[in-house]
Amino acid sequence: MLSHSLLPTVAVTDGGGLYYGNMIFTALVFIILMLLIMKFAWKPLSEMMEKRANKIADDINSAEKSRKDAEDLAKQREDALAKSREDATDIINNAKQSAQVQSDQIVTTARNDAQSIKASAQKDIEQERKDALANTKNDVANLSIEIASKIIQKELKADDQKALIDSYIEGLGKQDAR
Amino acid sequence: MNDPISTFKLFGLTFNIGNMVSVTVAAVFVFLFVFICSRKLQVIPSGKQNLLEMIVDFTNGIVNTSVEGAKAKVYGLFAFVLFVFIFISNQMGLLFQIDYNGVAYVKSPTSDPIVTLTLAAITLAWAHFAGVSKLGFKGYFSSTYLKPFKLWLPLNVFEELANFLTLGLRLYGNIFAGELLLGLLSKLALGYGVLGYVPSVLVAMIWEAFSIFIGSVQAFVFVTLTFVYISQKIQPEE
Repeated sequence: MLSHSLLPTVAVTDGGGLYYGNMIFTALVFIILMLLIMKFAWKPLSEMMEKRANKIADDINSAEKSRKDAEDLAKQREDALAKSREDATDIINNAKQSAQVQSDQIVTTARNDAQSIKASAQKDIEQERKDALANTKNDVANLSIEIASKIIQKELKADDQKALIDSYIEGLGKQDAR
Repeated sequence: MNDPISTFKLFGLTFNIGNMVSVTVAAVFVFLFVFICSRKLQVIPSGKQNLLEMIVDFTNGIVNTSVEGAKAKVYGLFAFVLFVFIFISNQMGLLFQIDYNGVAYVKSPTSDPIVTLTLAAITLAWAHFAGVSKLGFKGYFSSTYLKPFKLWLPLNVFEELANFLTLGLRLYGNIFAGELLLGLLSKLALGYGVLGYVPSVLVAMIWEAFSIFIGSVQAFVFVTLTFVYISQKIQPEE
């Protein structure tokens, strides 16, 4: 038979002999297994694990960065808040001060105005009183003249006339002096 | 010990068919497991990918304790395949054993000294190769065989041989003992009716659990020692 000459014969023995051929076979199987695992599992798995490691590192870095950013932002806001509070206080203080100044000014002006109005009013009154006095003098004089002429017409004595006028003027002068 | 085996001769070498079948089945299991677990890889892992990454992290951890830095990446794949292959091989014989005409065709490949010594040979060949490529042949030779002084040469040669034998035979001994006792227990169960069946099932359950533990520990020990040897070879002593 063909198979008899080409294929080795299988014999069942009691297991006493050594079978070195299996060393070659085992080594071969192991190496082939290693190559297959390298191609189908090890390389993709290693790549994936590396990718994950990178991703985790990236995530940690970016988290750190955003935390820092947030901190900076919060600090900026706090600063801005403090500054605006300060500004507000300044503005209020300024307003208070200028209001005080203005009110003082207004009061002062009002007082001055009142003073000047009062003064001019007094002056006017004085003037009018003087005018009135002068008018009165004239009126009295005219009146006297009229009276005199009427009395004269009734032939009054000149001495009586004079005495009358003098006493009249004296009376006016007393009133004026008072 | 002397269970019957079926063999054939090719190129003057003897081949054990049962052993070859076991090794192939174990390799297929390993490949299927890794292949299925590595489908649809995602950045955020879930389920089977987590399992696979757990194993990879574990073996990478073993590598990193002995080999440092960038070199560790080169050995990661080797450590991973070695660990998964030995682990699955160790557990295979605990799950099933297929006999045909009294010859065991599928069992733990690691319960055979030829297989474990082959793995030890691959490991040590790589260790020596790494030593030569790192230190140059002169540096490798003097740091491996002429330390602490030249007269130590015979002892060092013997030590290398001892490393090879202990690494391979430790694994073989542990797994073979586990399978042997399971086989004896099953003989006990079948030989004495109910009287033998009940106690042997109980003892077999305990022994199975212990063997699973032993198988896991031996896979870990084998990979760890592998990288102890490799790290010894690639860094000059002193």
